[in-house]
Amino acid sequence: MDDERAKSVVLPLIEKATNSTAPDVDPRLLKAIKSTVRYSDSDLRLAAQTLMYLMKRDHSQVRYLALLIIDELFMRSKLFRNLVVENLDQLLSLSVGFRRNHPLPAPASVASALRSKAIELLEKWNESFGIHYRQLRLGYDYLKNTLRFQFPNLQANAARVQQERREREMRTKEILLKKFESFRTKFSSIKEEIQSNIDEIDECLEILRKKDEDMPLASTDDEDMEEFRNSELRQIRLDSLREGEKVQESSENKVVFDALREFYKVLVTKHLAAVQEWISVLIRVEVADLRFRDSALKDLIDIRNLIQSTKRKCEESGCDLPKIANAEEEEDIWEDGTVEAFEKGKSGPSCSENKDGPAASTSNNMMGAGCSNNSSNGNERRNSQNNGSKSNPLRSKLLTEAPMLNWGSFLDTWGSNRDVLANQRGLDLEGHWGRVDYDAVIPADKIAELNVRASVYEEEPVEIQPCRAPLRKGELCQRRDLKICPFHGLIIPRDDEGKPINENSVTEETAAGKQPEESTPDVENDLVDQLLKQAVKNFRERDREEVKKRELDKQALKRAKLAKVREHNEAVLRDAAIASTSRSSHIGEDVETGNGSRSCAKSKKQTLASMLKKKETSKDRLAQRLLNSRARDATIRQLTVAEEANYREAFPNQW
Amino acid sequence: MWKETREREFGNIRPNLFSSRISKSRVSSIRLSNYKEIVSSHRGSVNSLQVDLTEGRYLLAGASDATVAVYDIERATDYDGGGLIAKHKSLFVVNKQHEHGHKYAISSAIWYPIDTGLFVTGSYDHHINVWDTNTTHVVMDFKMPGKVYRAAMSSIARSHMLIAAGTEDVQVRLCDIASGAFAHTLSGHRDGVMSLEWSTSSEYVLKSSSTAQSSSAKARAPQKKLANGNALKPHAVCRISSQVKTAKQRSHPGMLSSHDRATGHYGVVTGLKVTEDGMYLLSAGSDSRLRLWDVESGCNTLVNFETARLQSSKAIQMAVSQDSSLAFVPCMTTAKAFDIWSGQTKCTFRGHYENVNCCWYDALNQELYTGGNDRQILVWSPSKSISDEVDEWRKEQAATVDQDNWSD
Repeated sequence: MDDERAKSVVLPLIEKATNSTAPDVDPRLLKAIKSTVRYSDSDLRLAAQTLMYLMKRDHSQVRYLALLIIDELFMRSKLFRNLVVENLDQLLSLSVGFRRNHPLPAPASVASALRSKAIELLEKWNESFGIHYRQLRLGYDYLKNTLRFQFPNLQANAARVQQERREREMRTKEILLKKFESFRTKFSSIKEEIQSNIDEIDECLEILRKKDEDMPLASTDDEDMEEFRNSELRQIRLDSLREGEKVQESSENKVVFDALREFYKVLVTKHLAAVQEWISVLIRVEVADLRFRDSALKDLIDIRNLIQSTKRKCEESGCDLPKIANAEEEEDIWEDGTVEAFEKGKSGPSCSENKDGPAASTSNNMMGAGCSNNSSNGNERRNSQNNGSKSNPLRSKLLTEAPMLNWGSFLDTWGSNRDVLANQRGLDLEGHWGRVDYDAVIPADKIAELNVRASVYEEEPVEIQPCRAPLRKGELCQRRDLKICPFHGLIIPRDDEGKPINENSVTEETAAGKQPEESTPDVENDLVDQLLKQAVKNFRERDREEVKKRELDKQALKRAKLAKVREHNEAVLRDAAIASTSRSSHIGEDVETGNGSRSCAKSKKQTLASMLKKKETSKDRLAQRLLNSRARDATIRQLTVAEEANYREAFPNQW
Repeated sequence: MWKETREREFGNIRPNLFSSRISKSRVSSIRLSNYKEIVSSHRGSVNSLQVDLTEGRYLLAGASDATVAVYDIERATDYDGGGLIAKHKSLFVVNKQHEHGHKYAISSAIWYPIDTGLFVTGSYDHHINVWDTNTTHVVMDFKMPGKVYRAAMSSIARSHMLIAAGTEDVQVRLCDIASGAFAHTLSGHRDGVMSLEWSTSSEYVLKSSSTAQSSSAKARAPQKKLANGNALKPHAVCRISSQVKTAKQRSHPGMLSSHDRATGHYGVVTGLKVTEDGMYLLSAGSDSRLRLWDVESGCNTLVNFETARLQSSKAIQMAVSQDSSLAFVPCMTTAKAFDIWSGQTKCTFRGHYENVNCCWYDALNQELYTGGNDRQILVWSPSKSISDEVDEWRKEQAATVDQDNWSD
């Protein structure tokens, strides 16, 4: 009873799911199978049986889909795993086809997909459940080590990548730890070293300052305090004062300066960098001794601050410090330069504009700087232009009017009308070291011809409105056509539900063919509306009738066709009955198959059988005649009977 | 099980009955073991398996790539899957590179029945070697006239140390380890001897079976040799005493089928196995039939074994359970357990991917070992007892869990 019920549910589901030409199982069917099987062990058993049975089907597509379902259930149900694993060798031979006497059935393309899928799945299963099922391990091992099948090794590859990353992390961790250890041992000495360095710098500065104080500079401070009225001037003065305070290098304090420079260099290049590194190490390292780490970190940050303050002091002290401080910055500058050059290429026009007016570019550096550095940024250029406008209002006015041009080689000779020298190599005079013939000149108008500015036509982007006719799905048609959608006709403005917004005008145009009366006065509107409605109604009714008629016609046609086919069949059968008995069967079959193929062609639906079907050749047809299954069966039967008889005679005493 | 334990404690059932009951119930639940795995070190098909008779601990395997290996089946060499799977690697392997190693396939490898210090290998390179297990050196070498198909030693012999060797040659030779010479040559077969077995009840009885002459159109019953010279016996019995008499009783080939009707095999007899008590002899033929013979009378017991396809090209090694209730027979890619008395198939062991060549039943642990052409040695064992299962459950918790996993 229970079985009966199960049969009515799972079997057809699985049958239906595997009876498809799609490369995947229909997800809805799959879900239905899963939910059915989930709550009933008997169903699951039945499913396993059915799937194994389907795996034996002589069609790779069926096997493939069955295998996909098996995989789904295998990954989920323990019972199913146990059932499948019992017959794993059979399953594998049916899906991988490793037994030579049982190759995979047609079609070949699906068969190869089936094989690779089976191998992939076996690997997956072995990866996830191999530990619990010896059979899985055995099968995997057999295919891999005995038959040397290539497994995709997905998991293994992923694991290897993971492993490598882990190893790298481990290594960095180890290195960090090592650094940390060495740091721990060296920490105090380093601290002392830095401290002494800073002390020395301080001393140097002290010495310099003392010398400073000897000088009679302080008197200027209170001399003319009241003279500086506005803050700007005062600022300038303060700056100059500070400048003045700075000690000038002279022959007598040169030694001190040298020492200071030396210390500064050591401090910045060695100690500061080292401290930064230690800090990063301490932050990244993972050690058990957190307290030491934290305290060391605190110390280091203090030291860094100290170093930085000392550095600032040095810089403020005004001694002519070596450039080591910004060795890195220097590189930056260099990089900036390259970027600049690159950008120049892009922003040619603005540059060329600058070149156009040499006066302007010389007149304000700001402009040039803006062009070269920030030329890619329109806003900033605007700014720089604004800056420039103060000096040259005409120019700025012209600039706002000037068109933007894309860069091109024509810009090289923009505005110039000079003749160009040429030699036997053409215009390339750069690398020409020989005699120059000043008569061989290409006139300016020729050059201009050569440098005609080319521009590509760019279409103005037009927003093509989607059709937005309501579809049966409930969505709106998203097809974008210029005027007419091939499915829904003229594209008209529609509201959110896909209804035409101004139906009147459309129907007017299409049905009644009346002029859209936009200019009619309001008084006439009512009448017109009524007329329109009437027209629409008429039109629709006519339409409906036509459709009905067409349908009727179609049915009649179909009926006639069917009758014809039936007649034909009957005639053929009659003929067959009259004809000799041996051939009659063939004829009947032929007709049947012919009908079948015709119906197939009519429906145009791809079926499993159609996948197997090859193009029929005359040879095939002959073979079919000769090797007709019935004839073959008959012969085989006869042969076996004879054999059996022989055997029985030969061994009469065997039971 | 607990009930039986209590009954044994009360003295209601005798200990040996209790143990036999337990082992019987265990044997009936044999399946492919997931927790015991023998890592085969062979590159060719495994032709012969034997667990030593003294300790029941060392599994000797001979393979067609001329390797012999010994596995410790009690103690695993390493574990896999969080201790779930015990892997048994070979203790040692003797292969072609060994200075006295066989050149060709090893057809049979057997332990010296008295202890594990010696083992014997017979090979297709016409040699039978006796090896010292501890040093893996050849201590004795017998040159045979042809390929050795099977070598056997009596498990109960106390007064002789004879290796019976069945070869391509028509004669069965008895090689004496003690003297290093051929003690006897037993003639009687008319073709190479495919399999032979010593009786388990009498140390002087050897049973052998021959290949049929493939050239002759008529298949023949297994050759028989009788020592007693009495009436015709349909199965091969050869009794050797210290004063050996070998008598040949050969009937006319044409008369053969009429004389012992419904007895012999049609084709090659590929395997022989004597039951533990020595009362019955099980034979397998290339005609895919199994027969059970009563040793004493020499009659076919007419047990109708269910049809199973048997390998016909190679000798197979069958096994019989300790209480002679089950026979384990290699049937192509599977091994089958037959009920000896009814002939019904009790269960089918699927696991090998190619033909199974040999079975060995380990009575101590109720485990079955099978070796096949796919180079594997598989262990088939009863499901674990409850305490083991608890352990396993814990382990499983540690390892990945094999559970239902329904996401939708």
